[in-house]
Amino acid sequence: MQRVSQRPTYKTIVSVAAAVAIVAVILALGAQKNFGPQQYGQLVVAGLGAGAIYALIALGFVMVYTVTGIINFAQGAFVMLGAMIAATIYGDASSGDAVGLVIAAIIAILATTLVGVAVERLTIFPARNADTLTLIIITVGVYIAIQGVGLVVWGTSAKAFPAFTTLDITDGTLRFWGIVLKTQTLWIWGTTALVLALLTLFLGRTLTGKALRACSVNKEAARLMGISPTRMSVFAFGLAAGMGALAGIVLAPATRPIYDMGLKLGLKGFVAAAMGGLVSSPAAVVGGLLLGLTENVAAGVTKSGLKDVFAFIVLIAVLLRKRGIFAAGTDLERP
Amino acid sequence: MIERQRTIGRRTTRWQALGVLAFALLLVASACGDDDDTTATTAAPATTATTAAPGTTAAPGTTAAPATTQAPVAEGTAYKIGFVSAATGGGSSLGLPERNTAEMLAAQWTDGIVGPDGVHHDLEVIILDSESNPDAGASAVSRLITEDEVDVLVAGTLSGNSLAMAPLAEEAEIAMISMASSRRIIEDADTGEARFWIFKTPQENGHNAAVQTDYLSALGVSTVCYLFENSGFGQDTLANGQKFFGDADIEIVYSDSFERGDTEFPQTTSIQSSGCEAVVVGAIPPVSALVTSALRDFVPNVPIVQGHGNCAFAFIELAPAAVEGVPLPCGRLMVADGLPDDDPQKNLLVQYVVDYTAFTNGEPVSTFGGHAWDALQWAYEGLASLEEGLGLDDRRAGVRDHIEANITNWPGTGGVFNITPDDHLGLGFDALTFVRVENGAFAYFPPEAW
Repeated sequence: MQRVSQRPTYKTIVSVAAAVAIVAVILALGAQKNFGPQQYGQLVVAGLGAGAIYALIALGFVMVYTVTGIINFAQGAFVMLGAMIAATIYGDASSGDAVGLVIAAIIAILATTLVGVAVERLTIFPARNADTLTLIIITVGVYIAIQGVGLVVWGTSAKAFPAFTTLDITDGTLRFWGIVLKTQTLWIWGTTALVLALLTLFLGRTLTGKALRACSVNKEAARLMGISPTRMSVFAFGLAAGMGALAGIVLAPATRPIYDMGLKLGLKGFVAAAMGGLVSSPAAVVGGLLLGLTENVAAGVTKSGLKDVFAFIVLIAVLLRKRGIFAAGTDLERP
Repeated sequence: MIERQRTIGRRTTRWQALGVLAFALLLVASACGDDDDTTATTAAPATTATTAAPGTTAAPGTTAAPATTQAPVAEGTAYKIGFVSAATGGGSSLGLPERNTAEMLAAQWTDGIVGPDGVHHDLEVIILDSESNPDAGASAVSRLITEDEVDVLVAGTLSGNSLAMAPLAEEAEIAMISMASSRRIIEDADTGEARFWIFKTPQENGHNAAVQTDYLSALGVSTVCYLFENSGFGQDTLANGQKFFGDADIEIVYSDSFERGDTEFPQTTSIQSSGCEAVVVGAIPPVSALVTSALRDFVPNVPIVQGHGNCAFAFIELAPAAVEGVPLPCGRLMVADGLPDDDPQKNLLVQYVVDYTAFTNGEPVSTFGGHAWDALQWAYEGLASLEEGLGLDDRRAGVRDHIEANITNWPGTGGVFNITPDDHLGLGFDALTFVRVENGAFAYFPPEAW
């Protein structure tokens, strides 16, 4: 009993000390660059903007991982497909066509969902008896294949997609206390929150959602209850692809979608999901926000060229810990 | 107990495997971002390679017209120009306009060449694809050298590809004119001597920095911030900036890089607090347009100067409001119509724009097609200088000697060239001129207007 109560206290002290040390280092580095509250506020806002996208992508990783045990590295390709298909259907980004934007988004999400289903049926299902690592490597192959198709279809030039608020390539900006906020960032935050809420409701309240969760808890028991794990696998891939496409579409106005955008976004999404322990949607969202915050603030006070370095330092830390940063007791090993 | 240990063992293995996979992907990602002047090096499937066999898939007229349509002159050896560009793959936004230009010139040259001795020669341009891949590019070049026995090579869209091709041309003793920008293609990195057989047509980062220095001096700026993309190209723009700005007592007080896929730019915060008087950017679209957009939001009062990697319509298209009014050095091709009438390049530039637009049914002109035009014209002039009766080796040497000796005061799309034995590019800093984005198009921005 005593040991159990003592360990968290010790851990808490270490965590607090580490946090204080990190903040001190950030402030010391920032002081050298004459950073004031405004600069820090800006870095935080920009970090949370990028983080919300990582979070949205991470949700797709979590969805597939919990149901099938596979890390789906093709998730980044779904993000690319969503953005590229939407931009292609919409066409001229300065036409100001709100209805067209919604239609383009819906078609892109549906098309990408179909691609997700096809990926599961054509590559994962035939190899369903192979071990998990083989399946993960298959998803890497799928990513490369989809990116290759994207290159052939769309070429190497970037596309333009209008910001949702202004319906123009040029996004609106909000300014308060000297901090600049793109209106598209609000859409990204809203979308992430909405998707998380809907996902929670879906998994908690609907029969299909409960079946998905059952598969993630125990595949054999779920099968005995009359749930088909292979069908759930298709479902998870489709849903993950749709969510990835949505992430690509809300991100598209903030970037300029291009055929090879998926690789780094997918990796960052994976880092976010791994930070959250890979099995919990809310934890993945927090992981994404934290990742965006970490890399942006760290890059801001040091060199921006090191941004990705910080992101992958986080990945190494998480992988060495062999579990997420929050769920200290969660066993990541799936049944 | 045993069960638990096994679980931990399995878990460890899986996480290790995941780590290995993630880093393998990371390596792929960083390798992609490392090429100097392309957006990625992912090669397209080989099946899409455009291998233009003589007179089949290339533009009509790739095969020279039969001699029967000619005036009754003596018929000499048929000449062949070998052309390799990155028509597919990551460099295709550069390589396609180059291939279009080659097809256009091949169609214009169907009458062949009449040498100085009055002997007529058929002319064939053999067009191959490097797939943006140094290996595929090198094998295309060897095929042209050994199987097709071409007389001169115009080859290499990307610097990396060109560097892979150059040793083959040197070994076979055939002139190769590259369409890529790196100085290393034409100069030995260690000795700084010109490579005997290799030429190139594009302007360089040194020209870019020199012209930017003039502009910054005219603005009266003494401190600048420098943002560059994290690639060979971006780093080279910074290195040249440091050299040239420093000579003009312009200090780079803050410099930082960004990645091609970035959407958030924390650098702007540091620019704000560093208090520099202007920001110089070394990058290519699309990210260069996004950086401009971010700078406009965060430091609206600091002038932005862009670099010559943006002389294509994509730069404007991707952020029209943000780039409006941004000045940058470009070759004169982008502003052909706005040039003063006494400009030595004006006529040929306007003609090229008209020809290219007509040949491609309205594709926008980019500087890259111009690099191919210059290179192919040199090859053509080299062949036109040859007398009948030379063997293959002598023809190859003759073309090289002609280019080195006679491309002087030669107006092309990239500038007025003066090739010497020591300088196989032969452009002065005035090859680039300042342009400005006005009403969604590039407009001539002469020093008087600074």
